[in-house]
Amino acid sequence: MIDRIWTIATNTVREAIRSKLLYVLLGFAILVILSGIVVGSLSYVESARILQDVGLAAIRISGVAIAIFVGVSLIHAEVDRRTIYTILAKPISRGEFLLGKFLGLVMTTWLQMTVMVVFFVAVSLLTGAPVTLTHGAAILLICVELTLMVAIATFFSAFTTPMLATFFSIGVWVVGCLTRNLRDLGAVSDVDSVRLTTVWLHRILPDLASFNLSIEAVHGLPISAADVWLPLVYGVGYAAIVLVGAMAIFERRDFR
Amino acid sequence: MDASNTIVRVENLVKDFRPGLGLRRKRVLHGISFEVQEGEIFGFVGPNGAGKTTTLKILMDLIRADEGRASILGSDVGETAFRRHVGYLPENPYFYDYLTGRELLHFYARLSGVTAGRRAGRVDALLRLVGLSHASDARLRTYSKGMLQRVGIAQALVHEPKVIFLDEPMSGLDPIGRKEVRDLILRLRNEGKTVFMSTHILPDVEMTCDRVAIIVNGRIRHESAIDQIFADSEREADLVLANLPPEIPGQLEEVFGVTLRGHGDRIEVRVREKDVQGVLQSALAVGAQVISVTPHRVSLESIFLNVVEEGSR
Repeated sequence: MIDRIWTIATNTVREAIRSKLLYVLLGFAILVILSGIVVGSLSYVESARILQDVGLAAIRISGVAIAIFVGVSLIHAEVDRRTIYTILAKPISRGEFLLGKFLGLVMTTWLQMTVMVVFFVAVSLLTGAPVTLTHGAAILLICVELTLMVAIATFFSAFTTPMLATFFSIGVWVVGCLTRNLRDLGAVSDVDSVRLTTVWLHRILPDLASFNLSIEAVHGLPISAADVWLPLVYGVGYAAIVLVGAMAIFERRDFR
Repeated sequence: MDASNTIVRVENLVKDFRPGLGLRRKRVLHGISFEVQEGEIFGFVGPNGAGKTTTLKILMDLIRADEGRASILGSDVGETAFRRHVGYLPENPYFYDYLTGRELLHFYARLSGVTAGRRAGRVDALLRLVGLSHASDARLRTYSKGMLQRVGIAQALVHEPKVIFLDEPMSGLDPIGRKEVRDLILRLRNEGKTVFMSTHILPDVEMTCDRVAIIVNGRIRHESAIDQIFADSEREADLVLANLPPEIPGQLEEVFGVTLRGHGDRIEVRVREKDVQGVLQSALAVGAQVISVTPHRVSLESIFLNVVEEGSR
């Protein structure tokens, strides 16, 4: 089973590496990281922080963009181009195929992250900005967030068109970034239904703000171990549940 | 052949599709049943939209039947392990076009559980078999339709399956390519493989298949051995005669119940095998010249057309 999943995953990475979209997004991200030098130079006192703020944001946004834009067509393209016919005729289950595609895209986003992080660290060191363990924790949690977003994009890709899947995935990401704020706003509301709705929104939709340690990293604020492992477990658990849902839907589909 | 040699068993398969978003359902398979025996080449024949590809997709578990049961090598088609022994070429296959032919075959070999030690040799042998050794390191996006069909056949055979399902395997091939595929299918039978071939190219069925099932509008309308079809059919001959006196054609029509068609001074007539001698004697007796006698066998095509016509009523 592992070998079959790995075969699909490595082929997915190969497909991404040979596609132009990845290089366009990666090039754009590196350009933004480098532009941090120019933006940072506009400030006399905060240049290092601005540079790293821009850099981490570029890593996160471009990672999410790849996760969504590649992820939404991950399954649909296989069905649309009928490449799935000959694959599922081999001794591989639909679940293994879906897991392989997911894993392949996760590896692709991490590969892309590695390139961007190398640029980020190089630019930081060249400009004298500190690189600490908190930066490492922030980047690790961005990786977890990307894994979760790949799972969500894969979920939508399992049953709808790329356009709708893009719309839904971006929607989940935007709302997911705000659920914590919504819950906090709801908590001070006098209306019970508003309070209850915002609490449940926060429980059901992913709390993506929990993966964001950029402020702590850039400003050198202290973090605890729980600030890292709790979001890590939460993100992996959430992604696993989303993938189980995707597999359940994918298992029932007819490929006409 | 006894039941233990049954490789493919289809029992009362029913499939409905929803043409649009509405609740209305259209039945595309009406409880079809058939069996394919070990070592035979089984032709699954029917006009476009008859349900051939739907049946094949159910057998490959790409779509699920609403009723009925299908099994291959004794396993329900919903299982996956037995697919190690199954090869499949879909109609108009499409593959990852960013891969080379060699990479593609390695990919399918790995998926099929071909061990690393055997993979390279097996891939090379298949590339030679389908005549793609020269293009093995070119990306598939540069392949012609015929080359894609060949690499599709290669991926179906890469893991040395016991049973091979081919959906329109001659599609996109030139006459030489078609002959090569026919020869390959016959070679597979000689190696003891079972081949299930869905097609609407009837001469290919006549030349390769042992048994045939004709499906029309989602129902199996005819199923028999190819030899049986020809044995049961009435043999005829086409005679071309010249210099017939004007009164003779009418007499031949009256006596032998034949229809004559004239081309200048030549008359063409299709005669039942048992009447050939009588017609020739009658013609020669009045000084006619016999230009040609061509034995004529009722083709699968005429049977197919009859079955389709009856099925469409």
